[in-house]
Amino acid sequence: MNAIEVDNLRRIYRPVMGIFRRKVKEIVAVDDISFYVKPGELFGILGPNGAGKTTTVKILVTILIPTSGSARIQGFDVVREAEKVRPRIGFILGGERGLYWRLSGVDNLRYFASLYHVDPGISKSRIPYLMELVGLEDRGKEKVEGYSRGMKQRLHIARALLHDPDILFLDEPSIGLDPIGAREVREVVRNLQAEKKTILLTTHYMFEADALCQRIAVINHGKIVALDTPEALKEVVKDLHIIEVEVFGIPSEVIERLQAKGFIENLAVENVEQRQVLLIQTARGSEAVPDILAILNGLRVGKISVREPTLEDAYVRLVGNKGE
Amino acid sequence: MFHSLLLNIRLFFRGAVLSYIALFRWFTPPAYLASKVIAPLSYMLFFVVLGTFATGKESASFYIIGNSVQMAAMSGIYGVTMSIGGDRWDGTLPYLFATPANRLALFVGRAAIHVLDGILGVFLGLFWGITLLGLDVSKTDPLVLSVVILITTFSTSGFGLLLGALSLLTRNIMFVNNTVFFLLLIFSGANLNLSLLPEWMQTISWSLPLTRGIASARKIISGSAFIEIAPLMGTEFLIGVLYILLGFLLFRWFEFKAKRKGTLEVM
Repeated sequence: MNAIEVDNLRRIYRPVMGIFRRKVKEIVAVDDISFYVKPGELFGILGPNGAGKTTTVKILVTILIPTSGSARIQGFDVVREAEKVRPRIGFILGGERGLYWRLSGVDNLRYFASLYHVDPGISKSRIPYLMELVGLEDRGKEKVEGYSRGMKQRLHIARALLHDPDILFLDEPSIGLDPIGAREVREVVRNLQAEKKTILLTTHYMFEADALCQRIAVINHGKIVALDTPEALKEVVKDLHIIEVEVFGIPSEVIERLQAKGFIENLAVENVEQRQVLLIQTARGSEAVPDILAILNGLRVGKISVREPTLEDAYVRLVGNKGE
Repeated sequence: MFHSLLLNIRLFFRGAVLSYIALFRWFTPPAYLASKVIAPLSYMLFFVVLGTFATGKESASFYIIGNSVQMAAMSGIYGVTMSIGGDRWDGTLPYLFATPANRLALFVGRAAIHVLDGILGVFLGLFWGITLLGLDVSKTDPLVLSVVILITTFSTSGFGLLLGALSLLTRNIMFVNNTVFFLLLIFSGANLNLSLLPEWMQTISWSLPLTRGIASARKIISGSAFIEIAPLMGTEFLIGVLYILLGFLLFRWFEFKAKRKGTLEVM
């Protein structure tokens, strides 16, 4: 039996706008997605902001009812059998909120242990173990309001593990963390993987998905646009090379001219301080550089490099330039 | 079954203590002193001076007792609604509603410490009345008065649970709190003889908590026996239970609607 099964899941939000002239807007957040996760697998959902990752997680952890379709956790339906699903799962939603800031880290865990009906004898030993697992053993008695963002995120992970669930949902666990904090969180995720937990991880950090996940579903505008291993996903761009060109103050019409060129498969622009880095996917490799420079003529051009594609490049190709 | 009951009792008590510390925003020495000691004393002095000015010094005990018992609403209304509605501000609602916790133990537990806090508040009010305003308690049975205060604080906190559930819907805790607290100053009979109110207002008064508690406390302090106020107290208790049930139903309805509409995290 699969740990997680999702069939034709769809979720539409209908926010009401205006006070007197009320208008109902329809937003399709998750659009007919299906996938499964095997026991012990670390499965990633990768996509830009607003792609439907968090909505999917919320449905799977029983805090949001889908518009249609179904999802099962260890065979139990997340809507009809939510009571049976809840003890089997742990989850974190990205961000700092969701903890009682006026309580200490340990008291937060004590309270949630009661909510999950963890036996007092077990929670007595499990809380120190989890605080150590997430590297907070020395800060457990301090109020959460004094924790850094990374510490709060790690406390969230400890909270999600209190009742020793088989399945974990980690929704953007490293979002907003500094590089060290993000690395610490990834280390905790690796340890959990070693404990054979089934993990569904959402992220929009490509290297995170590449480093951690065994399979990845790429989601965009609520739809799964690709689902495979990181290696197989990279095959999407195996015939391409990536040319990175550093430019300063590139006008939008020049970008449009580049995009119109037939030899350019995909173009993404990253703003880095006052410069822009053009990520150009092309099958022509370094041969394309003179043609690109001809179009950039008159602009201040910095470093140019040609490299092999990564998962990020596969992602850019799959979700288009609108991805982050 | 028995094990599950034990776990729910544990959830009730642990939730009571930890939610009080976590969510009751006045739980810092300056805020507590201002809101639970100084503000009640100011209310009492204001209404006692105003009331005796209008109706004569012999009615001072009417206002002292009324405003002392009204202090149950400080904890029962403000405290309990903060402990329910505060989860929205802390962003903990999604995590609470994804747990297998018994919702009744979780919900009612939020009020438990506030009942004790409310009892303390009422006694403090009576203490100010005795020491500063000369309230005569020589004919009072302290045990019966304690029972009256306990039941009144319980029923007021039950009302607070309903308001707390309502504050999850309205997303504005203080608006709900302030409106209800000041309406209670009129409708509870703390500062008005209820017989002076129009009949429709009296109907509202007797359907609210506090009203019977204030009436009972006045009788006990003037020397009445428990048997004389037993029917009032029985009804006050039932009113408290009714408001808890209504609050719980509203809480569950909120949980269902929020999951359906995706508004659990909306602030």
